[in-house]
Amino acid sequence: MRIRILRACLMLGTALVLWPAPSIPGQAPDSPAAGAPGLRYEIWVELDAAGKMLVGKEEIVWTNPTKDTVPDMLLHLYWNAFKNEASAFLREAEAETKFRGDGSPEDGEWGWVDVTDIRLADGSDLKPSFAYVTPDGPETAGDETVARVLFPDPVAPGESVHLRIEFRSKIPRTVARSGYYKNSFFIGQWYPKPGVYEEGRGWNCHAYHQNSEFFSDFADFVVHITVPRGSVIGSSGKAADSRTDESAGTTTTTFRQAMVHDFAWMTDPRYLKVEQDFIASREVTPKEYDDTAKLLGLSIDEVRLPDVKMILLIAPEHKGQIERHFRALRAAIKYYGLWYGPYPYETVTMVDPPYRTGSGGMEYPTLFTAGTQVLTSPDELDPEGVIVHEFGHGYWYGLTATNEFEAAWLDEGFNTYSTGLVLARAYGPGAIPFNFKGIPLSSFLRIPKVFDFETNRVTAIQTVRFDPVTTWSWKFYNRGSYGANVYMRAATLLGTLEDLLGEPAWSRIMRTYHMRYRFRHPTKADFIGVVNEIAGKDMTWFFDELFDSTRPFDYGVSDLYSVKVPVHIRGVFDTGGAREEWTDKRIKEAETVKAKPGESSAPETAYRTTFVLRRYGEARIGGDTRIQAVVRFKDGTTETRTWDGQARWARFEIIKPVEAESVQIDPEGVWLIDENLANNSQGTDGFRLNTSKLMTQLLFTVQCILHFFGSWS
Amino acid sequence: MGAFKAIVNGMGTTLRKPRILIILYVVNILFALVVAFPFLALVQTELGYSLLGMNIRPVDLMWIGEAVLKHQDALAAIVSGFVACGFAYLVLHVFLNGGIVGRLLDREGPADLASFWGDCGRYFWRFVRLFLLSLLFLVLSLGIVMKLVSALFTPLSEAAVTEWPALILSNLHFLIALLLLSIVHMIIDYARIAVVADEERKVLKALRHALTFLKKRFFRAWAIYLLIVAATVAGSVVFYVVLGGLGAPAVVQVVAALVWMQLYVVFRIWIRTLFVAAQAEFYRSHPY
Repeated sequence: MRIRILRACLMLGTALVLWPAPSIPGQAPDSPAAGAPGLRYEIWVELDAAGKMLVGKEEIVWTNPTKDTVPDMLLHLYWNAFKNEASAFLREAEAETKFRGDGSPEDGEWGWVDVTDIRLADGSDLKPSFAYVTPDGPETAGDETVARVLFPDPVAPGESVHLRIEFRSKIPRTVARSGYYKNSFFIGQWYPKPGVYEEGRGWNCHAYHQNSEFFSDFADFVVHITVPRGSVIGSSGKAADSRTDESAGTTTTTFRQAMVHDFAWMTDPRYLKVEQDFIASREVTPKEYDDTAKLLGLSIDEVRLPDVKMILLIAPEHKGQIERHFRALRAAIKYYGLWYGPYPYETVTMVDPPYRTGSGGMEYPTLFTAGTQVLTSPDELDPEGVIVHEFGHGYWYGLTATNEFEAAWLDEGFNTYSTGLVLARAYGPGAIPFNFKGIPLSSFLRIPKVFDFETNRVTAIQTVRFDPVTTWSWKFYNRGSYGANVYMRAATLLGTLEDLLGEPAWSRIMRTYHMRYRFRHPTKADFIGVVNEIAGKDMTWFFDELFDSTRPFDYGVSDLYSVKVPVHIRGVFDTGGAREEWTDKRIKEAETVKAKPGESSAPETAYRTTFVLRRYGEARIGGDTRIQAVVRFKDGTTETRTWDGQARWARFEIIKPVEAESVQIDPEGVWLIDENLANNSQGTDGFRLNTSKLMTQLLFTVQCILHFFGSWS
Repeated sequence: MGAFKAIVNGMGTTLRKPRILIILYVVNILFALVVAFPFLALVQTELGYSLLGMNIRPVDLMWIGEAVLKHQDALAAIVSGFVACGFAYLVLHVFLNGGIVGRLLDREGPADLASFWGDCGRYFWRFVRLFLLSLLFLVLSLGIVMKLVSALFTPLSEAAVTEWPALILSNLHFLIALLLLSIVHMIIDYARIAVVADEERKVLKALRHALTFLKKRFFRAWAIYLLIVAATVAGSVVFYVVLGGLGAPAVVQVVAALVWMQLYVVFRIWIRTLFVAAQAEFYRSHPY
């Protein structure tokens, strides 16, 4: 195999030959400058704008990073998901009735990718062995999004293989993420791409499912993109050079980027291209560096951020929102950088998704698509939310490249959680999006403002009973369960864990996890390992109970009452060798005796306050975690009791000379995932002013609705 | 008679007969209390003793989410029940329309309970037939016109290169639907008036009277209708601005908000009677 590699290197283009030698397979470098250890691409692609086709060829050098001997390679051919209704993607979509009708590709609008030639650099033809396979089982039979080729000789550990592939792709008329509309193109998941080889497990190369995103290995890319002259182009990576062929009427731009695991691009003749710099010294104050360093236990140099070139490609009709886009991106670069680690690439390209290409709100390494509309409201954090979120995927997916097929929550959940933090810090709460026919009503009406953690929780609690968060993406009950679990429920659970462990520990956990697994493929076990290490205790129960299960979490208070404790009680008592009987009459007399001057007063009245804590849900707390209940008394004093929460209920009694006013569990609001916060507290009186206000509004709303019905008579 | 004069005269008529307003308000609030009672009981049960009730916001997503989760099995029944109540209220109003139109057209006559209920009974079946006819009229006119508008707009929208054309056409489509709806609503209003004013027993004839009447003075009639709609919108804006200014809840503010909301309901009911009174003034001033 070594000889084959040498030949391959000689036949490669200059760019590939001049790249640095691969580092040790299996060991990821800490920065893009070091280059990818085991995978390199050079791709030439030309857009046929009229025919909606891509014609391309690619050179792939793959080094076996494992101790296995590898006989084959599995390749993703994602666009075959849009080839016909036998694809796993469209079958799953149809099952949810999402794509039948308007969303389904129309006749003549299908998309596909054909591998027209595939051979090794020494000329060995692999096409005869080329076959579509269904690694996700017989239920995806007929799917053509994964193909397998056999090598003439197996690739030994540490050896490399050099492939040359030629492909022709029909661009889909927008089904999901990629597509065209008139002369606008968004091109993602477009080239034949190997899966990820895992030692002892083989190729991790799943079909393109409806409820799933992607997984691939870090690589160094050189991509030459040819588009009609005059088209504006944006891409992953950094533009190296550009040349125009006047006779062909095309422009070819070369983009390079090391240590990324995907490459996407877009082109549109109408688009505006605007560049700004994120200048760290302007965006981050010395105090912010100082506070961050102290919180994380790092030096200021370790938390210092680099400058980043920000590139925006935006539709002319959204020109007025250019600064809004950059402001959100600056906030994202700043806070993700301070909290999790500095952004390691030189550029980030933000694309306002071309109209009707269905490509909005999607992440690719160093490039993401945002999404806005011509009419926006300053109160709604839109497009800010999507910008922060999609940039954030540069961290949770881009850098910690988790497997989105098998553990989508590790990127979507982490990123939804992080997005909420950045938005809250940079903007505060945002108005609930409430649009009517493209007009944001928050421009005219007082729409309530909420934080992301609130909306996340609302969705999270609805979905607990459907699937564990850790379910594989396409195995969720439905698309709703997938989305709610991996985004909102995971984010809510991470927020709960943060509150449970406290900010200092949590900040270090997130930082350590991110930096330790940058440019790697971490798993749930890796994250739990970091949590346990930094928290200094075993928190595995939290993941078992809340991420891996469908058990709802609901602790509450079911009773609260205070009763007077009698000083004397009826019956016969042996006191000091004598037997005496306390009767009702005697008790009454004793209680009416007034204290004489100089004597201590009559015994103080005492109250026995009883309350019951209950575990209404199936999920239990674990480890040294306790449910905390705070009882407030009418004299303003409080008493705290704790409970291990294992049984279904626990009764508590407190004797004090005053009656209780209320009891509340989780007074700090740690358990955001608790599905019933209303039963977390109980007071002794039944009047709440805000509740009364709510009831008056409810009555008024019903009156107005009835009046509306009546007006149709 | 001009549009303004018809409205001013109509206002005079409604103000001279406040009993109609009182009857309609009482019906509205009693019906609303019955419909809202389960919801009010739910709020009190869930939040009356909980400390959460101290901080609950008017639109509290967190609590609404919890309530939906807890009562999701009953949600379909609740929604169906609500729609059924709405339908019952609609039928009730078909009945009440007799009293409203009958008493407001009888300028000098009494608006006592006996006369009101008498008119409700007298015109009920005619108004039921008119209501059914109005549904047919609505479906046909909206169906045909909006289909034509869609046929005109859809190619333009589909060919759009940016969002603007689609946005503008979509809103234009909606505006046309609203205006068409107002016209249909107005025609039926005049048909109802014709039933009472002309003592017309055949609703088709009443509808013909209305159409004949409107043919000659359509824009003035429509102006009356749209001016009252504009007054409703203006009143609603004032209501919400004042309501928003009532601030953080204290007992006084909660009571003030309750009173203000009820005043708004009265205002909306009054507007409803004003439609009838102003259009009746206009109809009577132009015998055809």
